Amino acid sequence: MSKHDTKSETEEANRMWASASFVGVLIIIGLPLWWKTTEVYRVALPYDKINAFETDSHYIATELTVLANDDETAQEVARQIEKAFQESDVIKLKITKKIIPNKLQHLLDSVADEQEALEDVGAAFNIKKHNTFYVVQRKPLYQDVWVGTERVAFFRDIKACSTIVKVLEKWIYQPSVLIGARSEIADAARQVRFPSGPGYHVVLSVVHPRPQELKVNFNARDAIEDYIGSFVDELTDLHNFTLKSQWLHLLDFDFEATEVAGGRLAAAERLPLLLTRLEERAATHVSERPTLNLALYVVPCRLAPLALQRYDKEIPPPVQAFMSPKWGGVVFGNPTPEECEKQVYTPPVNLIMGTFLSQLRKLLGITDKEAQAGARLEALRRAAPRAWERDALLRLRALQQLASAETSLRSLAKLLGEISNIVINDEVGASINLAVESIHRATEHMEKADLLEAHRYSQQAFLAAETAFMEPSLLALLYFPDDQKYAIYIPLFLPIMFPVVLSLKNLLLWFRGKPVHKEKTD
Amino acid sequence: MLKLGIPSFFLLILILQIKGDDFKEEIFIKPLPPSHLYVNFHFITLVNGEESFEHSHLAPRSLGEIMSRYQVEELHLTLTEGQWKHKQWGYPVLDAAPGAELYAWFSPEVIDVDAHWKKLSSTLSGLFCASLNFIENFNTITPKMSLWPTGAQKLKQNYTSQLRYASLPREIVCTENLTPWKKLLPCESSHGFSSLLNSRMIHNTNYHSIGVHVRRTCVDNNCLETNLEIKQTVALVYDFKIINSMDWSFRKLFGQGLPGACPLSSSSKIYIDTTSNSTYRFKLSPEPNNIVLSQRGGSETELAVYNINNSVMMNIVAKYETKDKIFVNIPPPLSFTRYVLGYGKEFGGIVTELTNNYWAPIDVVLLENAPWWLPIQLSSLRINGEAESKLIMSQYYSPGKSRQKPYHLELLLRLPPKSTTTLTIDFEFVFLKWQEYPPDANHGFYIGSALISANLPTAKNYTSLPIHGNTFDSVINASKPWYPMIFRTNGAMVSLPTPDFSMPYNVICLACTVVALAFGPLNNICTKELVLKAAGTPLSLRQKIFNIFKKKKD
Repeated sequence: MSKHDTKSETEEANRMWASASFVGVLIIIGLPLWWKTTEVYRVALPYDKINAFETDSHYIATELTVLANDDETAQEVARQIEKAFQESDVIKLKITKKIIPNKLQHLLDSVADEQEALEDVGAAFNIKKHNTFYVVQRKPLYQDVWVGTERVAFFRDIKACSTIVKVLEKWIYQPSVLIGARSEIADAARQVRFPSGPGYHVVLSVVHPRPQELKVNFNARDAIEDYIGSFVDELTDLHNFTLKSQWLHLLDFDFEATEVAGGRLAAAERLPLLLTRLEERAATHVSERPTLNLALYVVPCRLAPLALQRYDKEIPPPVQAFMSPKWGGVVFGNPTPEECEKQVYTPPVNLIMGTFLSQLRKLLGITDKEAQAGARLEALRRAAPRAWERDALLRLRALQQLASAETSLRSLAKLLGEISNIVINDEVGASINLAVESIHRATEHMEKADLLEAHRYSQQAFLAAETAFMEPSLLALLYFPDDQKYAIYIPLFLPIMFPVVLSLKNLLLWFRGKPVHKEKTD
Repeated sequence: MLKLGIPSFFLLILILQIKGDDFKEEIFIKPLPPSHLYVNFHFITLVNGEESFEHSHLAPRSLGEIMSRYQVEELHLTLTEGQWKHKQWGYPVLDAAPGAELYAWFSPEVIDVDAHWKKLSSTLSGLFCASLNFIENFNTITPKMSLWPTGAQKLKQNYTSQLRYASLPREIVCTENLTPWKKLLPCESSHGFSSLLNSRMIHNTNYHSIGVHVRRTCVDNNCLETNLEIKQTVALVYDFKIINSMDWSFRKLFGQGLPGACPLSSSSKIYIDTTSNSTYRFKLSPEPNNIVLSQRGGSETELAVYNINNSVMMNIVAKYETKDKIFVNIPPPLSFTRYVLGYGKEFGGIVTELTNNYWAPIDVVLLENAPWWLPIQLSSLRINGEAESKLIMSQYYSPGKSRQKPYHLELLLRLPPKSTTTLTIDFEFVFLKWQEYPPDANHGFYIGSALISANLPTAKNYTSLPIHGNTFDSVINASKPWYPMIFRTNGAMVSLPTPDFSMPYNVICLACTVVALAFGPLNNICTKELVLKAAGTPLSLRQKIFNIFKKKKD
């Protein structure tokens, strides 16, 4: 009896160990192995950091110095400015009040010319520093406020306070435009300016539809290098520019022009089609960077002078031009009847390039400054933008790039979270991490009013986020979803797992030392 | 006075040439009796060498930008449909391999040539809407002997290491390639000779090939300054059977008359080879502006030249006087064919036959370029059936690597006079991974053309420009000691062992089922015990339920 018992017990033990080994191989080793080998490679992403982004809370700090002849004026001006900008959450002013040193005060009161006064201020204070602005009192001023090309505004006396506030709001800091750059909805200025980028190509295309009838004396290379070149040189902190020019011959276009007094009038609804025709030939698609298109359309003699608008009462402008947001501008070169007769047309380079420049300013994000009562904005004498306009651009781009990077990262994180079988490789992971880190750094620098560094980091963040978002490897395994994996492996796993899982109960009982079969107890 | 006058005149020409770009257009028409007509368009843009590509006048900015961004010294791209029949048609101005063919020399400053090459091919693929992006390392070779730069190069420079060559024989060439090609021309397709190229007519030919060739050429004989020459070519071979008559005219060939010259071109000329007029008489109308007789390398060519300088619609018509005449074809000095040997799906071979019809030996370089999935073994190379041949003067062999490098064999051969040399080389078929098969894998796999570069001793049937020539008038009386030419043989097709592509799924499902079936009994034997049960013991609930079913069955 005992011998029979021990034998059956050892057999029982053998069977149980066999069953345990099945469980061991299939469930403990097999399942995790299968899970691991069919898993999609995904780098861990900083989801919590990305979710913690608060785009609307970004602000830029900036320094403002009020210089007045007496303490009372300085206090009052500073107080008014502070009050006006108190509610703005996008720009934070650090105002310092100072009394103008006697020597400078004397100079400011004595020199006749504002430009000279500017130089005097420049000698005493560092007006070349980015993200600073000086509001300086100057008694002999014809207007309340005067703004030039440097980071200085002059005001006459304490009565000019409201004008100063207006000028700072509408011209210098433009908090409404900054809010537009920060938000997800594009405002009017953002609809016109080019999206951010590390660099642009500026291509001047001279469109000459009838080379057989008219000779055009125009040196496109010199024109773009002289005029546009000196403009974009000042913006190297923001973007790299490459200047190019080309001639597009025989690009004929039907303007459906109608005869009006003193010339012809192009049909307004045809002008968008002209852009399509230009785009066909302009070869912008071969460049690796976005292209700002500037096109000089030499109007054929049979159409000249061609106007784009009806001018019934006012005097027609000297140059006919139009602009297309985020694309570029077109200027029409209208040869005079005498030039048509001589068959040689010399375009007015100054006028044409000036028009291109004003278009380019808008395309790059420098807004038009509307006139303010009592304030005078000194007209531009050179192609280069004003110093405080550059600061405004830097602020604008920094905020926009930051907001854009955060939006891209957020939507990317959402997408990757939702679709679990997208491969996230190391490059994408590195780009995302770099973007997140740069965003944090840019935010820090912005709050410290370190504008150049803030812009640099925000650009880095923007580019890294774009790279991650556009990475083609994200699409690689999108077409091998989970249901296919199960469809293939279920014929294997279902019949094998069924007996193994059922044997688990007996195995557990046996391990606890309980009798396995009820019959045996009888 | 006269002595003074001529140099100043030349100086004037020189100054005109240096200043700005120059554009010329040409058509060369050669009847290929008895049944074909060869039409070759040349559009040449010369850019002053010092001019950077950022500012362009007549030259296409898109191409220039690509050239300067990837530092390309010389570029040749052709997109061809059809096969040029050298034996029957003689030699074309520029030969091209069927499908797409791209080769380029990069500037010596380029260190990572492969990376530039990959970017160049991808960008060109976008520019010409062709699948050049399929050019990878595994179908790119660096020919050692067969290709030489045609442009002006600095001396003492290693050209071959900066060269890359690839061909895509499967590429199908159509309208979508022609349209971007036309956009590179300053006159586009609105004026000038390019307005003749409407795709409805030119794709209705036996052979058509569009090409872009960019190289540096010397401004003068001293070659102190260089120009950049961008040459765009179209070669068409019309079949008289398709146009329904032997008499041809511009209206028949292109669907319309010639609307005049491009207003930007400095010269617009049409050359018609009337040499065959002596055997096959035809009459041209209107009369050509002049007729040029050219003696070149022992053969005489008569060219009718039309100078087009107005914008009046014109239609050149050729009317044949004798229609049905038996034509005796005299083969050109060098002709060749290539075909695939073998049966089954294991071994095969490529045979290249080179025939020298000339009375003197001709030296040729033969370049065989086999993809990695078609391993050719140098040991199986036979020339006229012999393993050791005296004909081989030099050879270069670079074995391929699976998925990395193609097989590349170059042979410098001296072909004996009046003889045919047969080269045989064996290959074996390779199994591809199932994702490496192209769509429609049962269609077969294309093998690219072999390159044959020869220095022909005679200019018979030779229509190419001399190496320094930009325009077609440079062929007139251009006798040289030899006439270099790079030929492409016909391509071939093999069918690799192609699986049933649903196989992996079937295999997985079948294997899983078998494993599952085997596992059941195994598991039972190992873990279950058969227990005898004494009769009359009380039944458990489960057994009672089982018994109900058993009874029902009974």
